[in-house]
Amino acid sequence: MDPSGVFPTSYRSDRRIVRTRWQALALVLFMGLLLAAPYLVSGRIIAILNMMMISAVIAVGLQICTGYAGQINLGQAAFMGVGAYTASILASKTGLTFLLTIPLAGLSAALFGFLFGLTAARIKGFYLALTTIAAQFLFHFAVLNLPSTWLGGSNGITVPPAELFGLRFVSETAQFYMNFAVTAIMVAGAFGIVRSRFGRAFVAVRDDDVAAGIMGINVAATKANAFLIGAFYAGVGGALWAYLIRFVGVDQFTLFHSIFFVAMIIVGGMGSIVGALVGVFVIRIIQEIIATVGPNIADSVSFLGGDIVFAGMNVVLGGVIALFMILEPKGLMHRWNILKSSYRIWPFPY
Amino acid sequence: MVYFINDIITGALIGLLYSLVAMGFVVIYRASKVFNFAQGELVIIGGFIVWFTTMQAGLSLWLSIPLSLVLAGLVGYAIERIFLTKLIGESVFSMVMVTVGLLILLRGLVLLVFGPAVRPFPIIFPLKPLFLGDMLIPMNLLIGGIITIVAAVGLSWFFNRTRSGLRMTAVAEDHVVASSMGISVKGSIAFAWVLGAILSTIGAMIFLSGKSLTFLASDIGFAALPVALFAGLESIGGLILAGVIIGIVQSLTTNYLDPLIGGSLGSVVPYIIMLAILLIRPTGLFGWRTIERV
Repeated sequence: MDPSGVFPTSYRSDRRIVRTRWQALALVLFMGLLLAAPYLVSGRIIAILNMMMISAVIAVGLQICTGYAGQINLGQAAFMGVGAYTASILASKTGLTFLLTIPLAGLSAALFGFLFGLTAARIKGFYLALTTIAAQFLFHFAVLNLPSTWLGGSNGITVPPAELFGLRFVSETAQFYMNFAVTAIMVAGAFGIVRSRFGRAFVAVRDDDVAAGIMGINVAATKANAFLIGAFYAGVGGALWAYLIRFVGVDQFTLFHSIFFVAMIIVGGMGSIVGALVGVFVIRIIQEIIATVGPNIADSVSFLGGDIVFAGMNVVLGGVIALFMILEPKGLMHRWNILKSSYRIWPFPY
Repeated sequence: MVYFINDIITGALIGLLYSLVAMGFVVIYRASKVFNFAQGELVIIGGFIVWFTTMQAGLSLWLSIPLSLVLAGLVGYAIERIFLTKLIGESVFSMVMVTVGLLILLRGLVLLVFGPAVRPFPIIFPLKPLFLGDMLIPMNLLIGGIITIVAAVGLSWFFNRTRSGLRMTAVAEDHVVASSMGISVKGSIAFAWVLGAILSTIGAMIFLSGKSLTFLASDIGFAALPVALFAGLESIGGLILAGVIIGIVQSLTTNYLDPLIGGSLGSVVPYIIMLAILLIRPTGLFGWRTIERV
């Protein structure tokens, strides 16, 4: 928020993404550091960064669907799974290049998401959350029960590495740059979407769908669009995931994973793209800590065995979701914005 | 033909078990306007309490069952005090997300406290099935079905006919309006969660009697979800009909359609019904129609 008395004087300046010189500098530094990361840090951290970027694509999609358009979505992992399966089947059976499979994965996930978005035309609130849970169960059923030559059944599918001009993206560094390129495009696109006509329609529908309808916004189409875009992002993220892990199985896309993505946008802050990125960072760090510390504890408390990581993750993330909803429902980004604006207008209260 | 009728009866009884678990959803919704995604987790917590009091503490069934119900009620009360009192008057989104957080939190806690081991569950209802001619009906489901019907009739009388029940109904309409009419929203929500936890524990007893107990038993919470929606989230009596219909459809699909297609369609059929009902009649068979005001 700008200090009192400072207003944008044109539409262009109002919709600008980079508003100050400091922001431009921070953006350049951030991108530069990320690009140089493979030369600065060790392989383990690059692996974590890869996971973070893929989660970022998916969480940004969820942010558009849930944070901007207000449509509760507990099926983001299923949408991601649809994308991952599409990419891996296309890559392993037809040998298409990843330049085509990644967008196609996004499109197929978008179609799947759109189908569930159509239900949003009639229902809202937590009823909608229930249909997205149904999406989760139907996805599992389809993968496990369709003939295993189609979707690999419970064995999963092995994915060939991404290839471009004879260059194979197998090393962590090569994958890092591939993920970086896709993530940068998707996040930039998200900034574009939310400040466009569609983004404003999303916000209007989120704030009051009846009022938005009276103002001439097609509420049902807007809700379905939100799901379409959110699922497209999930599909692209799923395709990246398939190329990173080089194997897809139905266990990678459960309701729990969907809830983890929801945790990311809640922690970061609803209704902010940067918030989604912050949330991804925080939650992934927490997950990484638990995954590292967990096995050490498991040695001393032997009866739990390997489940301690999963259990610990659930306890911590469940606690984080509940705590944030109770104490800081607007997320870390809101806190940061308050700090920022009080710094800008200091010593005045507003 | 005998098998066919037997399948229908068993299916209906399983459906009544779903109704009982779904009753937990509906009671909590009916008295607090909170949709509790963590219902399945309450069922396993109830199951573990029963296991603890009988198998671990070695109490007799007559002592352990009432004790378990009291303990389960306390757990429900604690959850309400810690998480939900603070959210009175907040948006539906916050409430939904807190129960989603609870879902994974409780799942993790149960795993941490009790571990993934498989445990024997006490035999609460006689194991010997009831023979009717050539038909065989599982005893635990039969007694459970009777309990479900009694509970449904009792609770639906309580919520629709008594003064305190109607107060809670007002809370489900609108927290702010209810509290400005002098109704204790906190009290109502606390009561709902205690009752929800107790119903879940009874459900666990019927579901698990004589079987083994792991944390995977919480899946029954999601299996009961379609029943709650089919009936409409506000109707307790309607749960019986919805449960019986979904139970019979599922049983027939599992027994007659699955062998033909070679998959487990039976386990998703309730969700397909749920999707259909959400699209055709989102308020369910007997739910309230809400009128929107701007």
